[in-house]
This record gives sequence, C-alpha cells and structure tokens, in this order.
Amino acid sequence: MIAPPGMVLGLSAVLFGIGVFGFLARRNIILMFVSAEIMLNAVNVSLVGFSQQLGEPRGQVLALCVIAVAAAEAGVGLGLVIALNRNKPGAGVGELTELKW
Amino acid sequence: MTLLSVQAIFYYMAAASVASALLAVTRKSPVHSMLWVLALFLHVAGIFLLLGAEFLAAVQIIVYAGAILIFYLFFLMLLDLPDEVARPRFGTHWPLAAAAGLSFPVLVWLAQVRTLYLVGTGPVGSGPVGAGLAPAARRLAAEGPPRGSLRDIGEALFGPFALPFEMASLVLLAAIVGAVVLARRRGAGS
Repeated sequence: MIAPPGMVLGLSAVLFGIGVFGFLARRNIILMFVSAEIMLNAVNVSLVGFSQQLGEPRGQVLALCVIAVAAAEAGVGLGLVIALNRNKPGAGVGELTELKW
Repeated sequence: MTLLSVQAIFYYMAAASVASALLAVTRKSPVHSMLWVLALFLHVAGIFLLLGAEFLAAVQIIVYAGAILIFYLFFLMLLDLPDEVARPRFGTHWPLAAAAGLSFPVLVWLAQVRTLYLVGTGPVGSGPVGAGLAPAARRLAAEGPPRGSLRDIGEALFGPFALPFEMASLVLLAAIVGAVVLARRRGAGS
C-alpha cells in the first residue's frame, strides 16, 4: 500500500477544486480551457487510484478515454477561440456578450 | 526502495502537483500558467507511476505534456495578447468561485470522516454517506500481487472494451472535422 486509500481521492478532489476555481474565476478563455484540463486530470488521478485499489484495469481504460476526450476538447475549443478571435481580437470573455442571443 | 521512501515520494508528488496547479490558475502571465500546468502534468505522471499505471504515465507525458500543452502554447503565441497582463486576471465574483472550488475537498473530507466513523463503530455499509470507500480500502489489504499492468490494459482494451475504444477514435474524428469547420474562414470554402 503506497498511500492511505483516501489520500489519492483527497488529492484528486483538491486538484478538481482548483480546476473549478480557475474555470469560474479566470477571465481569459484559454486559461479557462486549461482549468478544464486540470479538472480532467484530477478525475484521471481518482480513476487510477480506484483501479489500483480494486486491482482492476478498468479504471485505466476509462482514464484513457478521458484523455482522448480531453484532446478532442482542446481541438474544438481552440477552433472556437480562433473563430471568435476573427470577429473580436483578444481572449477575454467579458466582451463576448453577443453570444447570448 | 523501502515503503517509507515510496510514501515520501508520493507525498512530495501530491504536494508539488497541488502547488503547481494553484500557481497555474493564479499567475498573471498566461505563458507562466502554461509552464506551471506542465509541471502539474509531469507530477501527475509520477503519481500514476507510483500507483502502478505505467502505460497511463507514458500517455500522460506524451499526449498531455507533449501534444495538448504544446498546442495551447502555440495558441497563446498565435493570438498575440499584449494587454493580457494589464487587465485583471479574476472576475469580480472570484470569492464565489473559490467557495465552489473548496466545496469539493470538503465533500471528500466529510465522506472519509464518515467512512472512518462507520468502520470504527457500526456495520460497514449501513450508513448512507461514504459507505463506498470502506470496502475498497479493505479489499486492498487482501489483494495479492498488483494487477493493472500493460498486458491487462491491452486485453481489456481489445476485449470487453473494444467498442468504447473505437468510440474514442470516432470522438477524435468528430473533433478534427469540427475544428476544421469552426476555424475555416467564412466564404472561402463554400
């Protein structure tokens, strides 16, 4: 046993909370995406921790799928940033008010 | 390596990843944030190694630190953000965001305290909260040689999880097509 069983879960929750804070508080759209990556990574930590505790490879398979989804999210999200940047330069989300309607 | 030194390495990795994540979301310069996220990804890969997930550690370094993060850095340099450092980095509602972020560790802490209480006094699994953690902790002690090696993952990926594995490739294909459609200059292709 490398760590107390709750330690990995606690670490994952702390990282996820930091990601939530970054996503909600930052005003730069790229840093918001990066905070989402931090959250996905936190979920991966907890999946691998459960996989090790239960002695099963299923958690790692799920973490692999999460990594694929993270890569897809990066591609689509940054494509959106390019499309937005063409209309209005800059990466702040405060000015993007016409997306409401 | 003795158990104690492995535990010391684990705690170092955990503390360093939390610190670099905090620095990543609070730095003013976006490039500095990216570099701290890189440090976070490398430390998380180390945690994966300690937890016996060698394949995922390699994927973490190659895909996350090598591909996705470099992608983000390219974007930062493409966008040319000269006034980014001058403007406020947080919105005015950041205390609410901090409260939302703090609620996750508090929830897990409550669940674990409750679980320890249940294990200590009553029958395990009788309580409504946190009962799922205790059986996992007990099974770990009874577990024999560690599983979850590369061979196990490969057999799972191409055996019972073949369909989800192919779905991941479909997701990536959809992302490629979507990125091309979104980023195409309007009126150039159609």
